Amino acid sequence: MRGAKAVDNLSKESRRFLDDLRLYLFSSGKNEAEIGEIAEELEVHFAEAEKNGKPIEQIVGESPKEYMEMISKEMKVDTKAWLKYIPLIIFGAISFSVIAQLVDDLRLNFSYVFLGGTVVISIIFILLVFGVFKYTASRQVSKTKELLMIMIPSFLNIALFGALIFWDMFYTLPGIQLGVTASIITGGIVLLFLIGFSFWAKTAILPVILAALHIPELLLRLTSLEVSARLIIGMIITYIVIGLYLYYTFKKLKKEETASA
Amino acid sequence: MSQTQMMKGILDGCLLAIIRGKEVYGYEMTERLSDYGFGEVSEGTIYPLLMRMQREGLVTSVKKESTAGPKRKYYSLTDKGHKELEEFLARWKRLEKSVNNAIRQETNEGSEGSG
Repeated sequence: MRGAKAVDNLSKESRRFLDDLRLYLFSSGKNEAEIGEIAEELEVHFAEAEKNGKPIEQIVGESPKEYMEMISKEMKVDTKAWLKYIPLIIFGAISFSVIAQLVDDLRLNFSYVFLGGTVVISIIFILLVFGVFKYTASRQVSKTKELLMIMIPSFLNIALFGALIFWDMFYTLPGIQLGVTASIITGGIVLLFLIGFSFWAKTAILPVILAALHIPELLLRLTSLEVSARLIIGMIITYIVIGLYLYYTFKKLKKEETASA
Repeated sequence: MSQTQMMKGILDGCLLAIIRGKEVYGYEMTERLSDYGFGEVSEGTIYPLLMRMQREGLVTSVKKESTAGPKRKYYSLTDKGHKELEEFLARWKRLEKSVNNAIRQETNEGSEGSG
């Protein structure tokens, strides 16, 4: 979570509540600027209350969930932002298959079922993830439980996408077929979008995963290895690169956390 | 403590009265409320109320640097807020009178046996 100018000596409990509040309000579709505003105001309050030895319960009451709901009720849903996020996520999902197809064959070929299915699955995924976030944030569950719960929509997402890809592969479905030029132009637009998105969201996760998926395979094609060996080595490198990236990001996050604690 | 509609209405009125005096920020308001005997109200309760009052145009806020930590948000009353406070005071006086009347009469008679 992005914090504004942080109070150095805030207790872990208070910091946790503020992070959870931000997540809860964000998952409830509230405006980011307004979320920052109330979180900052509460941060000032927590800091002074702690200086005077007051426990957090004296501020938020017995039920953090009820308190978060009380604040949420006073804020309007930011429909404009949602209209921005949903196409972004759908486009992100489609961009993965665009890149995969281009790497494979330089020609794009999408069935309507695949495109429509991607939209539907993405929306289900977003709603489920935000539902889980709201649940874990308002009940302040442990990080482990949070991670486990987030895996439910993630696995469901993978399963649904898998089913969609199989459906698309084994049946000839009507759709769009682009020539080489149109495919390359589309690929260029998608790449620009991915770069823009990475800067906007301040994370390199999408390009890193895409690169980890495709670059090893492209390089291995240049070798004289057998197909099966190439696939296995490619997959191992992919996992290692993604794993290293996540490890690096996690460590960086931890460092920031201890620096601000 | 459970937050009934009536309690919220009363807190609204008290906050308007506190803000009328001079610009105040959240923590200061809760300190005053607790001095006045509202110690059992969870302090955070005031923020949703302030958010609503600001949306309704009863109060405005400015952020000011403080010596320690992030900026504090100071509230002051708008003209509409002043009017609302006057209306609250009038409502409260009527209510206080009625409640006192009811309690005084009923408890005097009530102690002699009901029915």
